[in-house]
Amino acid sequence: MLGVNPIPRSVCPATASSRLRFLSPFLLCVAAAAIWLPSRAAAQETPYFVAYSHHLEEPGNLEIETYSIYGTQTGGGDFIAPWMELEYGVTAWWTTEFYIDSQHTFGDGSVFTGTRWENRFRPLMREHWINPVLYVEFENITDADKTLKEVVGTDTQFDAADPNSEANRSHAHEIETKLILSSDYKGWNFSENFIGEKNLGHEPWEFGYALGVSRPLRLEATPRPCNFCRENMILGAEMYGGLGTVKAFSLSGTSHYVAPIAAWQLPNGVTFSISPGFGLNENSHRFLLRWGMAYEIGGFGRKVRSLLR
Amino acid sequence: MRRLLILTALLFASLAAVAATGHDRDLDSRGIFQVIAKAPAKSRDQKNPYEGQTNAVAAGEKLFRQHCAECHGEDALGRGRAANLRASGVQNATPGELAWFLRNGNLVHGMPPWAGIPEQRRWQIIAYVKSLH
Repeated sequence: MLGVNPIPRSVCPATASSRLRFLSPFLLCVAAAAIWLPSRAAAQETPYFVAYSHHLEEPGNLEIETYSIYGTQTGGGDFIAPWMELEYGVTAWWTTEFYIDSQHTFGDGSVFTGTRWENRFRPLMREHWINPVLYVEFENITDADKTLKEVVGTDTQFDAADPNSEANRSHAHEIETKLILSSDYKGWNFSENFIGEKNLGHEPWEFGYALGVSRPLRLEATPRPCNFCRENMILGAEMYGGLGTVKAFSLSGTSHYVAPIAAWQLPNGVTFSISPGFGLNENSHRFLLRWGMAYEIGGFGRKVRSLLR
Repeated sequence: MRRLLILTALLFASLAAVAATGHDRDLDSRGIFQVIAKAPAKSRDQKNPYEGQTNAVAAGEKLFRQHCAECHGEDALGRGRAANLRASGVQNATPGELAWFLRNGNLVHGMPPWAGIPEQRRWQIIAYVKSLH
């Protein structure tokens, strides 16, 4: 999956069976995780794929996450872009996260597309109606990256139509900043993200947005341990898109998406999530499907420290 | 190969950072209790809607094991920087004070806010914690 050599077109036709091949390791992970993983800390994170809420990783906890996105493509092969995240709560007000991105384009090949390092900070020490979080990320990715972790500037689906061999030659070093605003009210979470991204080369600032809303299906917990119960299910939706550049701030000429989300948070710290996404204009990929699994290891920092002593 | 070396270096740097955050703060339980006592008056007087309900205590115990036991211990006696929840400073606090503290946390001293779990579940946790006296 992370190989750098493109697979010849004839070896990898875009058939339904080849797409299912990518799903089978995920399904195996699902079964293994649900059965074998021991009880660990359960997270309180919201289920969004693109938007962020103000809830950070608990201090000392490590969350290992693996996600994928399948997208349809006009003028090129459909794609699956898997990525992995390692998220660590450094303090109660600072979370750091490291990403490894890759993608496979049907009829083209598989490529490793780069890494990202993000940090989120809570400037206010108490809960408020609206809670701000400051986000800074450094990206070292190629133009072949198709994880669509955000949409900024005049990003359109046609940017992803270039062959991997060309797109993966162009490296981008970018700084991405976000102002995350988030509120909790009667079990609902409402999150609004304003994104500013700057290519450290000669590109202008690009802007984007992401909005999210979510709620558990049941607010109270039941007395008995349970896996398949409403309290462990979260439903939500997110909407995201570009806002043009500093020279042309606009909702047009870019892409926009809306995506319902469902997440299943198991008491042992495993979370599964899935989100079909729909493009809202002709610049957008017509259909996206995101899915993933996260596993939270409570007290990871303490365990590492005890090993190093 | 160079990419692999960079990734390996990043991994070690991350482990070193984790180790460096080891002795975050020398937090004693009294520090936490003082913060709890700072709850605003309108929060302090709030009643636990689940008070006296055995089902809520059982649900709270389940939630405690999921969210709190990692730091405060399965026995709630606290460990490391995390407070002993059976101590008088917690047990003498009103349910409203504990609800305020649970929602806001104490970010400076390492206690995360638990506003991300629904209010009903926070009250269930408080019902369990108060049952430990």
